[in-house]
Amino acid sequence: MDNKIIVRVQEPDFDLNLEMEALKLKTKKAGAVVFFVGKVRDLEDDKLQYLEIESFEELAKRQIEEICDNAANTWDLEYILVKHRFGRLKLNDNIVLVITSSKHRENAYEASRHIMEYLKSNVPFWKKEVANNTENWVENS
Amino acid sequence: MGKVRLKYFSRIREIIGKPSELIEIKSKNLQDLIEELQSMGEQYSVLKGENFAVYSAVDQNMVTDVKASIKGATEIAFFPPMTGG
Repeated sequence: MDNKIIVRVQEPDFDLNLEMEALKLKTKKAGAVVFFVGKVRDLEDDKLQYLEIESFEELAKRQIEEICDNAANTWDLEYILVKHRFGRLKLNDNIVLVITSSKHRENAYEASRHIMEYLKSNVPFWKKEVANNTENWVENS
Repeated sequence: MGKVRLKYFSRIREIIGKPSELIEIKSKNLQDLIEELQSMGEQYSVLKGENFAVYSAVDQNMVTDVKASIKGATEIAFFPPMTGG
């Protein structure tokens, strides 16, 4: 399973079509593929200028790898990929991609949710919203 | 105890005013280290966690016990609640 876990903490964007093709090369046994994408959303007043994501890269990667290992031991999965971005992002930019793949859909769905819930509050990333020329560190939601 | 690289992230980095520093410390655990740092300046009182929770990682391992030994550590990071995803 280990060689089917891919974790990246990166500044560049990711390409969903390329990720799907890469997955197909890695596993032929998966009948279900769940993609979760987190993206930059606007504020209530539509005034977001940009979102700055800070990371503690080495620890973030380690923490994500740990949760992926945990997911692989809990659910029957063929492939897990997590890519989380940092840096300055604008409205609608991608933030995070979680791909889970399994023979049947239940395992992929459940593992995807489990990984995302963990990512929200256990991996060292911090979001700062900049709007109306003021900065606001995002609290957990 | 020797020189340790201290790293600060997010709100803590902004309050302390620097992303990292290499300093000589005497403390044997995180609790003592936070007190030791406070004696260097009021800005370090953020590490007490009175306004928001403060998390720590010693040599890139998350640490929850502030009494755990930091002997031999080369890097200690402090950061606020995480907001990934």
